[in-house]
This record gives sequence, structure tokens and C-alpha cells, in this order.
Amino acid sequence: MIELKNISKSFGDLKVIDDISVTYEKGKTNLIIGASGSGKSVLTKCTVGLIEPDSGSVLYSGEDFTTMNTNQRKQIRKEIGMLFQGGALFDSMTVAENVMFPLKMHSEMSASEMSDRVDECLERVNLKDAHLKYPSEISGGMQKRVGIARAIALKPKYLFCDEPNSGLDPATSILIDNLIKEITIENQITTVVITHDMNSVMEIGDKVIFIYKGKKFWEGSKDNIFNTEVKELADLVFASNLMKSIRNKN
Amino acid sequence: MNFFYKVGEYFMLISRTFQKPTKASIIRGQILKEMDSLGLGSFGIITIISVFIGAVITIQTSSNIDSALIPAYTVGFTARQSMILEFSPTIIALILAGKVGSNITSEIGTMRVTEQIDAIEIMGINSASFLIMPKITAAMFINPFLVIWSMFIGMFGGYLVSYFTGIVSIQDYIYGLQYDFDMFSVQYALVKTVFFAFIITSIPAYFGYNVKGGALEVGKASTQGVVASSIVILIVNYLLTQMLLI
Repeated sequence: MIELKNISKSFGDLKVIDDISVTYEKGKTNLIIGASGSGKSVLTKCTVGLIEPDSGSVLYSGEDFTTMNTNQRKQIRKEIGMLFQGGALFDSMTVAENVMFPLKMHSEMSASEMSDRVDECLERVNLKDAHLKYPSEISGGMQKRVGIARAIALKPKYLFCDEPNSGLDPATSILIDNLIKEITIENQITTVVITHDMNSVMEIGDKVIFIYKGKKFWEGSKDNIFNTEVKELADLVFASNLMKSIRNKN
Repeated sequence: MNFFYKVGEYFMLISRTFQKPTKASIIRGQILKEMDSLGLGSFGIITIISVFIGAVITIQTSSNIDSALIPAYTVGFTARQSMILEFSPTIIALILAGKVGSNITSEIGTMRVTEQIDAIEIMGINSASFLIMPKITAAMFINPFLVIWSMFIGMFGGYLVSYFTGIVSIQDYIYGLQYDFDMFSVQYALVKTVFFAFIITSIPAYFGYNVKGGALEVGKASTQGVVASSIVILIVNYLLTQMLLI
């Protein structure tokens, strides 16, 4: 479980995150939704320590990440996996080397054990034959899957996914969503997904947090969204005619 | 103010770069890889430039000596001194600042804008130490060998010109190369080379590491990295020369 308590962050005079408190639950996919520029990515970067919050605390299983020293943070980060928007795979490494990288850096496994773990992770994301390919040689959807494989290589307790569906076709998006959901349940991971994709919200949103202008505006499950009376949330979720018509039918 | 901010940021990055690496065995492998990429990858261009510069120095010196009072071996002597004292350590460093420097800035800058550096940090790895330290260490180790090669091949360029054109006899040229040789001049050149190797790797790395934006900004950072490291090389060259030779 991850708890964020009263997180605020400003860049110059611009307050990007304003006193947000939220709990991400273990074994669930916790979705952060909001319009572009609402502060979702900054909130997540504050959570993983890529950006220091101005105030507030981030608790990983009760331990305050914001007051930890570098070595203590390093220990927590070994338990974090992250899937980046663009994949963030290392261009100079093959798919297998990308997945093996965190194992080489942090585990005491032998070469054959690492190789087995790489096979296991790539098999889990349905990429059995891509070991020797470079990131530039595979599709966007495959890159995302390699990103997931790399993120789960060290069996993390916490998984962060930054817009895992951006740039993907609807079928691949659903595949990625289901994969994230399955991995979360299988390994009882605390998963946090930043998304714009309303299909994802409806598919995997165990817990949904709506950020609006740097503030937490709404919190609930995917089932509550359809009946929301919060105008700002409804404007985001039911922005398309398709979604409006689905809502009206319900 | 912006200048002092950047200088401070540079030194903070350098201090992070030389913190204890996450896994020393991996870093050792990275250093060897960088030696191959930054050092041996520059071998060809250094050879071509040095042989031609050595040849040109020989022709220019020879054509400018019109007094019978100046001995012919001065041509070899001048070629040697020019190559050892200034061309091989300093001009090669400026050339490498362009070749290696732009490569480092664009590589690290691209990793920054594509979030690869964030991915390294998230894994609990010191990204500065992992990415920059092997480059600096490799260059500081391999560049002295490149410079010694440049000295040798530059003087050989002068030899070839003497042999094929006869502007100075081979005997005089070789005597000039050996005349009043002081080993300290080579030591001075190598000290400069080690300083320059640090500059041409660390400054472009700083510009790449702190780039914000996209491809356009990476290109701009690359240019800034080359310009800044070239200027710092010239300043440090002056300071070291004054300290070591006066």
C-alpha cells in the first residue's frame, strides 16, 4: 500500500499539485485520471521521488519515503517497477538485455538464473521470440510489453504505469490493460496507472482518482463513474459522443 | 547569475558521478566499452589529421627558412616540438571535443528526453555514475595513448614529406627530431591530455544530462557542449602551460 499525505508541489508561482492525499491499495489497479496538465504525471513523479514535493509525505507500506536518505530510497526503489509512456527501453540493448538489466544491477542471481527469469518475464507478456531484437526493431505495443517485462523482472511490490495505452490501437490497449490487471492480482502488487483512456478506466479501474487543476476532485471505482454528478469528471469521461450515448442509454 | 547556476549544477553532477557505483563489476564493463567507443573509435580521424598536420608543419617550416645560418635540422626539431607541445595534446583535444563531445551530449540527451535516465533512477541506480563516470574514466585512460600515437604519426608525416619531396634531407629531419629532446615536454603534454579528457567528456555529459524538451533541444545542447568544452580547453591549456612551463 502507498499513502500520499498532503502532497503539494509548485514550479515557480504555478501550483501544480495542491494538498493531495490519497491511498493506493495493494492488489488493485489504482487509476489516476485527469485532463492534460492537471498534474497526474507530477503527482506520480513525486510519489516515486523523481520530483521532490514541496510538502507532504509519501508512505510505502508505512515508511516515509520523503524523509529517507539515498540508501534507504535505493532499497524502496528496488521494489518499484515503472512502465514509462514511451517505453524508455535502452536503445543500445536488446529486448533480453533490457529485461536483464535490473537483475544484473540488483540481484545476486547467476547468469543462467537471470536468463531463466528473463524468459519467464518475456513469456508472461507474450514475447517469446523477441529476445535478440532491439527496441527500434519492434512495434510500440511490443515495446510497452517489454517495458512491463522489465518492470516486473525484480518482482516489485509497487508498479507504476504512465499512460500505458498512449499511441496504441484499441485491441493492443485492451491487451496491455488486461496484462497489467492480471500481473497486479497474481503478484498482489500495488499498481498505479496514469491514463487518459476511458476504456482502461472501465476495464481495470478498481480505484479511480480524478485530478483536476492540481487537486483531488473525486475518488471512487469504475462502477461509480457512470452515475457521477461531478461535472468536471463527467466532462472528461463523457467527452466523446459515443460515451455520451452510452451514458444516456444507461 | 545563470552562468554561476550552471557551474554549480555542473559540479553537483560531477560529485554525483563519482559516488560509489551501484555495481562495480558492471561499471568496469562499461569503462571497457567506452574505451572502445570513445578511444578506438577516434583512432582513424586522429591518424589522418596528425599525419597531414605533421607534413604541413614540415613543409611550412622548411619553406620559411631562408637563412643559411639556420641549420636544416630545425625543420625536424620544429615538427617535433609543435606536435608534442601543442598539436597532439591541444588541437586533438579540440577535435575530440567536437567528435566525442557531440556524441556524448546527444547520447545522454536523447536518453534524458526519452525517459531512459528516469528509468535508471527508478531502478535505484545512480544514473550519473552509471552513464557518465565510465566515459570520463575511459577517456582519461585512453586519450594519452591516442595523443602519443598522434605525436608519433605526426612526426612520421613530416618524414614522408621529407622523403618524397626532398625539401629537407632524411638525415637532417631525423637529427632534428632527436635534437635537444627533453622528456618533460612529453610529460607536460600527457598532463594536459588527462585534464582535457576530463573536460571533453564531463562538460558535454552535463549538457546532455540536463537537457529539457525534445530533439531540437538535444541538438542545441550538443552545440553548447562542444562550444563550452572547447573554450574551457583553451583556458585550461593556458593555465597549465603557465604553471608547468614558466
